[in-house]
Amino acid sequence: MSAYTALTAAGYRAQVRDRTTLFFTFAFPLLFLVVFGLIFRGQDVEQSGLSYISYTAAGVLSWGVANAAVFGIAFTLMQWRTDDILRLIRMSPAPLSAVIGSRYALALVVGLVQSLLFVGVAMLPLFGLEPASGWPLLIPVMTLGITTFLLLGVIIGSFANTPESVAAVANFLMLPMAFLSGSFFPMDAMPSWLQKVSLVMPLRYLNDAVSHALTGRGDSSDVVIGCAGLAVFALVLGAVAIRTFRWTKAS
Amino acid sequence: MRATPPEGTTPSAAVQVMGVSKRYGDRQAVDDVSLEIRRGEFFGLLGPNGAGKSTLVEIMEGLRRADSGSVALFGESPWPRNTTLLPRLGVQTQSSAFFVRQTAHEHLRTVAALFGASRTAVDATLDSVGLTEHRDIQVESLSGGQRQRLAIASALVHGPELIFLDEPTAALDPQARRALWEVLRGLKAEGRTIVYTTHHLDEAEALCDRIAIIVDGSIAVTDSPHNLVDASEAPSRLMLPLGRLDEQQAAAIPGVDRVTVQGGSLVLETRTSGRVLSAVDRLTGLDGVQTRSASLEDVYLDLTARLARARQTPGGHAETTEQQA
Repeated sequence: MSAYTALTAAGYRAQVRDRTTLFFTFAFPLLFLVVFGLIFRGQDVEQSGLSYISYTAAGVLSWGVANAAVFGIAFTLMQWRTDDILRLIRMSPAPLSAVIGSRYALALVVGLVQSLLFVGVAMLPLFGLEPASGWPLLIPVMTLGITTFLLLGVIIGSFANTPESVAAVANFLMLPMAFLSGSFFPMDAMPSWLQKVSLVMPLRYLNDAVSHALTGRGDSSDVVIGCAGLAVFALVLGAVAIRTFRWTKAS
Repeated sequence: MRATPPEGTTPSAAVQVMGVSKRYGDRQAVDDVSLEIRRGEFFGLLGPNGAGKSTLVEIMEGLRRADSGSVALFGESPWPRNTTLLPRLGVQTQSSAFFVRQTAHEHLRTVAALFGASRTAVDATLDSVGLTEHRDIQVESLSGGQRQRLAIASALVHGPELIFLDEPTAALDPQARRALWEVLRGLKAEGRTIVYTTHHLDEAEALCDRIAIIVDGSIAVTDSPHNLVDASEAPSRLMLPLGRLDEQQAAAIPGVDRVTVQGGSLVLETRTSGRVLSAVDRLTGLDGVQTRSASLEDVYLDLTARLARARQTPGGHAETTEQQA
């Protein structure tokens, strides 16, 4: 058994045995779907003429998937370093790519299950989401999105030394992004300078691409630009992640 | 500092530390330490807390970089991370270093896979530390001693040639401690090299071929426990049942340095036990008299205390550094 396979298997077992975290990982985006869905039920978003659900579903889904990717690996790396598990791996010949790769595989599975569950619930008559014909594009879009946000999580997990600091830093980055890049709140309703600010946020690109793929908003260039933006962020964050990674607390 | 072993290197050296220093801020944690550990040797590292043992061991393991000097393990530098060398090393981690929510067997299986070790090695190693019956218990539910044994198993599962153990018996009960001694003696018999950090002097005496005592970042002495005890000036103790002699009489015996009452015995400390014994024999007979020769613990306490005093006196030099091997 390779180091990658073994770490993935151990990570999978750890994840399914922690029922509480598992439940809330999947319930969290649904909670927002229900809350926003109930508040804005039947309303149309001004200008676009689309139902609010088609606006909010894509945004909440992309935020939920990104959030799980960031928090999952940031907590794991911080905890593994604190518990000296990274030290143990550091003293074995296993490559860093096996460590990150195993977490990546798990994050992709979490993202897939989140998406299926979320879209499934959003399609219930209460919410009435009708997926656009381009929905299979969600697969490459979500994969790129998870890659980008996982790498952001690697950086946070390398800097933070306590669970509190992981939560603080990750929330500090993810919550404003949720509001400013159109996840919770339609971009059209924001002043134009804020819309420009959102261009430096990776979530903006994920949102735009998911919006078109899932609900048909915008056009296919949104998917192309979204993927390109995510790829650029992934490269930059990946380069930073490699430089900042720490096996042990001090060296 | 990639390794090319300097000339005169004996091929039998498992560990070579050459002039290693490490400073943290204004504290010199390791101060120009040199030592050599032969293949197959059981080597003890002793010293007070904060003496620099852990830093030195982490530099040997390649986890920390030395400010100056070099380390070679089997002739290769462990720093930076040397993945060809790592499979030959086994490093005991602290006993919280377990993959979460795994059983003991699952954890060890994962560690084995990191090294590419086989499944049969997992079962055998678990058995050697006496955890076979706990194999399906989650690591979080293991007792302190069981966790410690699992941490040791994690260092051994891939059959390393050079094993670093850090206080491996700290949380073990006396039975488990003795059982572990047997495991360690078995490893030594197989020709493996063991670097052993401990505070248990009896353990160092029972297991180690040689020990180094580290005080204030430098090696105060390196020798076999036997030679250290032999060469020491630490006193032996004669214990007499109470009531046989009074304290004044005992103190008057030539060669007696100190008289105390401990645990129901009159304890006579002496550095010339033969002479004192025959004097006691003349006075009261030797029935019920026990003798305790100096142990490594006495030597250790004596030495570290003298070194601490020597360092407080300006210009004072520890005479024991001459013994350095």
